[in-house]
Order: sequence, then C-alpha cells, then structure tokens
Amino acid sequence: MSVTIQVWDLPLRIFHWLLALAVLSAVVTGEIGGALIDWHGRIGVLILGLLVFRLIWGFVGSSHARFTNFFPTPSKVVSYLKGHWKGHGHNPLGALSVIALLGVLATLVGAGLFANDDIAFQGPLFPLVSKSVSDKLSSLHSLGFNVLAALLVLHIAAIVFYARVKKHNLVGPMLTGKKLVPKDQAIEVSNAGVRRFVVALAISGVVAWGVGSGVQYLTPAKPAPTAAQSW
Amino acid sequence: MKFKIAMALVIASVSTAAIAGQAEDQQVKFRQSAYSFAAWNCSKIKSQTVEHPETYNKDQIIAAANAIAAVANSGLGALFGPGSDQATGWKKSRLKPEFFQKQDEVIKVATAFNKEANELQKVAATGDIGAIKTQFGKLGETCKNCHDSFRLKDDAK
Repeated sequence: MSVTIQVWDLPLRIFHWLLALAVLSAVVTGEIGGALIDWHGRIGVLILGLLVFRLIWGFVGSSHARFTNFFPTPSKVVSYLKGHWKGHGHNPLGALSVIALLGVLATLVGAGLFANDDIAFQGPLFPLVSKSVSDKLSSLHSLGFNVLAALLVLHIAAIVFYARVKKHNLVGPMLTGKKLVPKDQAIEVSNAGVRRFVVALAISGVVAWGVGSGVQYLTPAKPAPTAAQSW
Repeated sequence: MKFKIAMALVIASVSTAAIAGQAEDQQVKFRQSAYSFAAWNCSKIKSQTVEHPETYNKDQIIAAANAIAAVANSGLGALFGPGSDQATGWKKSRLKPEFFQKQDEVIKVATAFNKEANELQKVAATGDIGAIKTQFGKLGETCKNCHDSFRLKDDAK
C-alpha cells in the first residue's frame, strides 16, 4: 500500500527550475560573449538572488528544504550506501551533490561579480577591487566553470542512473512536488507558508538588487563619460 | 686561458639571452599596451552607445572607432615573435604556447578582428547608434574568440 506525500514545496521547485534555466542561459551567453556578455552579468545577479533565497529557505522552508534535514554527515552517507537510509528528501549522496553545486555556483557568482573580460565588461563589484585582483577572480571564474560542468554532468548522469537502474523517478517529484512512498513510511511534512516565502523573496531580491545596481551609490562616481578634452 | 675563454663564452651567451629576452619583453609590452588602448576606446563606445546612450557624442565615437581600427591595422602580428609567450611586458604574457603551432587559426581570428574593427569604423561614421551597438558586439566577439583560443585562462602564470 502506497501513499502520496509532499516532498518538495512549490518555492523550492520554482527555485530549482529557475536556477537550471538561469545557469543554462549564463553558460550560453558567457560562451558567445559579444553584446551578450551584459546579459551574462545580469543573469549572474539573478543567480545570486536565487542562491540567497535557497540559503534562507534552507533554514525556514518546509521540512525537506532545510539543511538540517539533509546535511550529509559521514555516518548518514555510510548508512545510505549500505541501503539503510529511509528518508524522503535529498538522500545523503544527493545532498553532497546539492551542497557541492550550491557551493560552486556561489563561488562562480562571487568571483564573477568582481570579474572583467579585458574587452569592455566589468562585473558590478569591479570598482571595489584592484585590476590585478579582478584578473585573478576572472581566471577563478573561468576555471571554476570546469568544476561546475563536471558537477552538472554528474547531476544528470545520477538522474539517468536512478531512472534506469534503480527505477526511481527523480524528475517527476521535482515537477509535481509529490512522491509515492510505502504507507508505513509516510510522514507529516511541515509547510513553510506564504509569509515566510514572501519575506525570503524580499530579502533575496534586495540583496541581488543591492549588489547588482546599488553598489554604484557606495563607490566614488566614475568621471563622466563625455568629459573628453579638446585635444 | 681555457678558463677565460669559458668565462667569455658564458658571459656572451648570458648577455645575448638577456638581450633576446629583452626584445620579447618589449614586444609583449607593446602588444599589451596596444590592446589596453583599444580596450579604453571600446569602453567609451560601450558607455556612449550601450550604457548611457543619452551621452552619445558622434565625434568622440568616431575618434574611438578610428583608434581601434588603427590599432587593428598596425600590424600587431609583428609583436608575437617566437618565445614571446614566456616573456613579461607590463605583466607576464598569457599567450598560450600553441599559438605558434596553430598559425592558420591565428590568422583567422586576427583577420576577423581587423575586419570587424574596420567595419566599426565605417558604421561609426554613419552616426546610427543601433548599428554601432550591433557592430560593437560583433567586434567584442572577435576579441573573445582570440582570448578563448590563445590566451591562458589562468592569470596566476
């Protein structure tokens, strides 16, 4: 006898698919460059907002969204590998992947905010550091992308592996939020509610806006672009 | 006697090496300067057409596009001598060593840069901001293509 439980709340699902879309767009615009590099920068700020939201949601979201619910301690990982794990959210191996992905994305966004391309693009926080520091962070940004690419391949390979080998559909629950579990394993899932969602959204929006646009109010004004001399 | 000859040889080879290194350092310095100067002009075009089009000044943009085209047409290839990937200009060169093995591709990316720079010069003269913006994007892509192919990502070199 199986029952349906809620495993991923709506904000988490929206976060996941928006993040997937944003990362894909960031990769495409970053690879093409040219005029699209400005969009790459804007998408980066959007990803910053999404990451801040996920961080907050990891403390105030519904059960399975919380870091305390899935934080992968070594003993949890071992017990999962032995087949003893009986949870419904991120399994301990999946949790390692989640934390690695979020960490690498945060590093890429963090470095990208200070980066420059030696052509005509600078991240929004470029004025806060020296050119040589920006160059170092730019190279971290480009090299770190290889790590992200490897993690994304692993992420998708794991989904395929679970679907084909373990006959376990991971994509469905990420779309519907629901998961079929044996009746004796069904649990009550706490719901975060709209108010927490609105507050989390507001905070992440303000942070992203502040970093993306507001920082110009903190730095000395650039000389007017038209201040050219007659000679 | 033998010792003196040996010393003379050592000194001669060290100083030629130093002079040879100096020539390559000089090439790197010139080319870094050339691209930085082009980047300064690019930033003016971007500022006046993409970021703050209300500040657009036709003469300044023509001057900037002329400067970029002049840099592109100045024969920059002469500044990429063998061994210059190991040299230091204002900072260590990030030229990839395979630059010297892939000359066909080098010519392709370099010619693309020249072509788009010359086109930008023409478009700038028309004063059509939208067209300048588009052409400026194309120019930026040629910069990036060369960076992706022939510039080390690692700045720690």
